[in-house]
Amino acid sequence: MNAPGITEPTEVITRARAGDAEAWGELYREYAPAIFRFCRRALPTREDAEDATMEIFMKLKGKLGQYDATRSFSAWLYKVSANHCWDMLRRRRIRQDKETDDVENVPLEHPDPSQLELLIEQRTSEEVRKALDKMSGRARMALVMRYYSDMSYDEIADALGVRRAFVGVVLLRARHELRQALEGNAALAAGGAS
Amino acid sequence: MNETPEEKMKHLDEMTLLLYIERQLDRARGLEVSAHTQECDACGTLLRALERESRLLTRAMLEEDEPLPSRLAQFQERARKSMQWIWGLVFGLAATGVYALYTGYIQPWQTELEKAGFGGSNLLGLLIFQGAMWKGWQSMVTFLEVLAMVTLAGLGAMFFRRRIRRGSALALVFAGFCTVLAVPPGALATEFRKGDSVKVEKDETIKGDTYLTGARVRVDGTVDGDLIVFCQSLDIGGHVTGDVLTFSQSARVTGQVDGNIRGANNNLTITGTIGKNVMVFDETFTLEPGAKIGGSLTSFAEGFGLEGSVGRDVLAFFAHGSIAGKIEGAVRAKGDSLEIGSTAVIEGPVRFEGHKQPEVSSSAKLASPVEFKYFEKKHDYQGSDYYIWRVIWTAAFILFGMVLFLLVPKFARETISAAESYGAPIGLGILVFFGVPIAAIIACFTVVGIPLAIFTAGFWILMVCCAELVVGAVVGNLILGRTTDTWGTIGRMALGFVIVRIVYTPLGHVHVLGILAGLGIWMWGMGAISLALYRRFQPVIAPNAPSAPYTPPMPPNTTVGGPLPA
Repeated sequence: MNAPGITEPTEVITRARAGDAEAWGELYREYAPAIFRFCRRALPTREDAEDATMEIFMKLKGKLGQYDATRSFSAWLYKVSANHCWDMLRRRRIRQDKETDDVENVPLEHPDPSQLELLIEQRTSEEVRKALDKMSGRARMALVMRYYSDMSYDEIADALGVRRAFVGVVLLRARHELRQALEGNAALAAGGAS
Repeated sequence: MNETPEEKMKHLDEMTLLLYIERQLDRARGLEVSAHTQECDACGTLLRALERESRLLTRAMLEEDEPLPSRLAQFQERARKSMQWIWGLVFGLAATGVYALYTGYIQPWQTELEKAGFGGSNLLGLLIFQGAMWKGWQSMVTFLEVLAMVTLAGLGAMFFRRRIRRGSALALVFAGFCTVLAVPPGALATEFRKGDSVKVEKDETIKGDTYLTGARVRVDGTVDGDLIVFCQSLDIGGHVTGDVLTFSQSARVTGQVDGNIRGANNNLTITGTIGKNVMVFDETFTLEPGAKIGGSLTSFAEGFGLEGSVGRDVLAFFAHGSIAGKIEGAVRAKGDSLEIGSTAVIEGPVRFEGHKQPEVSSSAKLASPVEFKYFEKKHDYQGSDYYIWRVIWTAAFILFGMVLFLLVPKFARETISAAESYGAPIGLGILVFFGVPIAAIIACFTVVGIPLAIFTAGFWILMVCCAELVVGAVVGNLILGRTTDTWGTIGRMALGFVIVRIVYTPLGHVHVLGILAGLGIWMWGMGAISLALYRRFQPVIAPNAPSAPYTPPMPPNTTVGGPLPA
């Protein structure tokens, strides 16, 4: 699991772990765009994503010693990022109490296959990104972890603090939420055009 | 889609199809799903739609729709530069602080003491390095040296880490540290005695340092070493070859002490002979006729009476003082009133600063007339220096707080959060504010607990220093709102601290209000720090507990949602 288009710079990572400031700079330049995009997808605003990216890299400086060099650096980096973003979202959720957990208990409607196919066919990437902004923190976080950073179900379960068997449900509910948001966007667009 | 109810029941649910495309099903179940979707149009369509949805999601996520913000592009460089600036400022200000402290406080003292005839000694030297107050100081100095070495080693490790591997750097530090610890300490024979009534009998000789604690302590024999006493009533009629450190209600020295006497007592009366210097903090100090101090005398006492002889200079602060003995050096005194009796002999100059002219007997033998200076009470805040120093100290505290916030940002946030609950930190603060010093004093009495007491007292002082910063941060948060950003928190702390200082400074001049405000701030801040520490060391019960209310997990192959549409 690498950051998109990035081959792991093993030697630079080793030097950065040994405290080489230049190597650290190289790592930052290499991975900051991918981590920023991860945060941008996971967090509600651009400013949040910028802050989170900086905080993640500051945190990473202290945590680099904990990295197991036999495993993928990108995967580890995404795990750290996911934990950080989820912490941010969770803190806000506690403070602002915007989300309600009742949503979790609503039974999911089985989709009409042809209608779903039509919906997916008509939507663009940009519309999906806009729809993501309207979703709850956990649903968005789950989708980002799975479809941006390609994290495994185990890693997602670990980051979100749920059981592994529940990850599929979280992802499915997230997709339903996304579809609703996409339909809402389309309705808004239609309303605007008329 | 004209399907029979039986056929409908055989349709796969969305969850199963999602788990299938995500490769989360076991092989057997996967083959079943594969076979079914090839035969069933509805399930095949749903599977394709889900796959397309996955692809759309991945594409939408991975597309580079916006470039890296310039703030992030420059972050690495900026962070490096800003830290350089911070450390530069810290060291610069620290150096300035040391210089200001030296020129503002230590040097004038030194000059004054030199003028008073203390021949180049200074108060710090007098207390610690010269006439050794107590052998324990040597341990403290060693402890400070070790601390300084550890700090230097830490800085060295930070420096080396840039050049060598972490393990090597740590090895270097540990090697250095072990070398320091491996240096053998001097052998020390120590005698401990405690009880209601503790005695060193007339024909008894104790070799080495002696610690005595009790209600009544009497030393009629010989102590060949230093004597450290904590008691209600002390009587030294024997011989002490080293120094005496005494904390007592009433102390009387009728015998001989070859070294120094240091201590704090309610009443101290000396009728015997002291070989070196005496430095005491008492309510009443009396040097009886026939008593002799070989070195200098430094006394902070309400009532000061000197009828014996002093070999060198006298520095005394008192309310009422009288001199009727012999002083071979100079006298520098500060107090309310001074009387120099007819039997007084002073071979050096006499300077007195007080509220009343000294009463000098015409029969007194003085080397020169008494130099009197009327002591004028001047309010500190009337001069511009006062405000300049307030600003410097405020800036220094903010800088201190900034360094702490940068070093331990998470703990700083936890402390501020603890302070925001008001009741608990103030309650705990009262306990810590009074309890910790009492515990430290009790630890001192157990003697072996002295290093622990020193450490505890040091930590207590550090908490007092940080308390105002914590309260400042809470005030800053109240004004500007909370933030999770470290620099935002520092900014709020600085703003709040300045406001607290502005409010507190005038209050400080109203006696009771100033004391109450100070105590309130200290207790609040100290309580918050203690509460954060307490929470930090609490065992973590469930680190991975889900944040959402518990929802029963759904096995991978069960149906989600309602029945398939007709």
